[in-house]
Amino acid sequence: MVPFDVFFANLPYLLRGALVTLQIGAIGVVGGTLAGFALGVAGAMAGRAVRALVAVYVFIVRGVPILVWMFMGYFGLPLLGARLGGFLAVNIVLVAYTAAFVCEIVRGAILAVPRGQIEAARSLGMTGGGILRLVILPQAVRESLPPLVNNSVMIVKQSAYVSIVGVWELSYAAREVVERTMAPFSIFIGVMFLYFLICYPIAMSAQCLEKRYARGHAQKE
Amino acid sequence: MSMIRVRQLEKRFGATHVLKGIDFEVAAGEVLVVIGPSGSGKSTMLRCLNFIEEYDSGEVWIDGTPLGYRKDGNGVPKRQNEREIARMRTRVGMVFQSFNLFPHRTVLQNLMMAPLHVKGEPKDEVRARSLELLDKVGLGAFAGSYPSRLSGGQQQRVAIARALAMRPQVMLFDEVTSALDPELVGEVLGTMKQLAEAGMTMIIVTHEMAFAREVGDRIMFMDAGRIVEHGRPEELFDHPRTERLSQFLLRSRR
Repeated sequence: MVPFDVFFANLPYLLRGALVTLQIGAIGVVGGTLAGFALGVAGAMAGRAVRALVAVYVFIVRGVPILVWMFMGYFGLPLLGARLGGFLAVNIVLVAYTAAFVCEIVRGAILAVPRGQIEAARSLGMTGGGILRLVILPQAVRESLPPLVNNSVMIVKQSAYVSIVGVWELSYAAREVVERTMAPFSIFIGVMFLYFLICYPIAMSAQCLEKRYARGHAQKE
Repeated sequence: MSMIRVRQLEKRFGATHVLKGIDFEVAAGEVLVVIGPSGSGKSTMLRCLNFIEEYDSGEVWIDGTPLGYRKDGNGVPKRQNEREIARMRTRVGMVFQSFNLFPHRTVLQNLMMAPLHVKGEPKDEVRARSLELLDKVGLGAFAGSYPSRLSGGQQQRVAIARALAMRPQVMLFDEVTSALDPELVGEVLGTMKQLAEAGMTMIIVTHEMAFAREVGDRIMFMDAGRIVEHGRPEELFDHPRTERLSQFLLRSRR
């Protein structure tokens, strides 16, 4: 039997770590999704030059492991003259990294809106901004909700990577506790549970959102 | 004066010369039916009339106003800006083969979107008019439904009502029954006939020959990017003057 009393004895400390994870996750999800959304719209709708820039950004960001980006952010941003603490640096990395993935989700969803939708809107006298806001985005958002939520869960889990450059959060706290107590199994089982507590509601919120936005899509043609 | 005037319309897709100089006019209240084999350019021609397809040269006039290009001081045609084109499009309703209703909006919202957003008309007025239009196409009961709940024929009638909600001067129909199950074709054609009888100026691209003869004031037969024959339904259907039209009619009868 695993002695869980070690875990419960250290629970307050781990909960503080979980709070930081929640904080980093929230910044990553909100910041990354917003930035990625803007990138995705630009990547699908803007002129050729902007579209190319977006494609290059996505290619570079996705082509390198997040672990490497964490080092790059932590050591590289200060080299560029940015005086920011580790916490800010890793959050910037997480947001920028997430944005690339969100961008591709949103861009794909926009491009998946049938051409006929845009033609119909134009035939009714609608133009660029109105078509985007009233016709394309509502459909693209609905289409991209499931992968976006899935992505949000990923971000929370990826937030553990910030510990590699010494930013303290749940996984960092867990290793500290393990080193103190020499009870890795019970501690990490408990930490698993804490991560689950954060991720599960996000996944659940997806289902609610999907139901809300499923209006008009009860049956596919 | 003609409601629609088309002069020397030309369109190429890369190396393919799709429209090789199309000329015709449609008077107010007249119904022109365009027939022809697939690939003859009839759909492309229709889509040029509201500049959804940008033609390369020629002129399109709607009720005396050019659509697409405007001649500058030296008589050189300049593409109109998006605003001008959009404003002209509000005068030309279009119905598509694939309905293209907005799936995230209810039937009523589909009708109301453009009058509210494009024309900025008062909401109550638009709602009343839209409901009336839905009644007219026999779908008043579906105002609050989403398009996916409707049959193809019902969706297409909503699409007609949506175009009419903008109070266009002209209606274009691009093979609007081709995607429908045979038993649903009749209800859509019925709605179009009703519209024709009410005096709407219409151009209809269709493969429904019986309907063309019944509703068309004039028939235009296109082949390979040109108008081959153009005249009254009796003339074209009963006395085709060209081999190409007689062949086409023979094949369509099967």
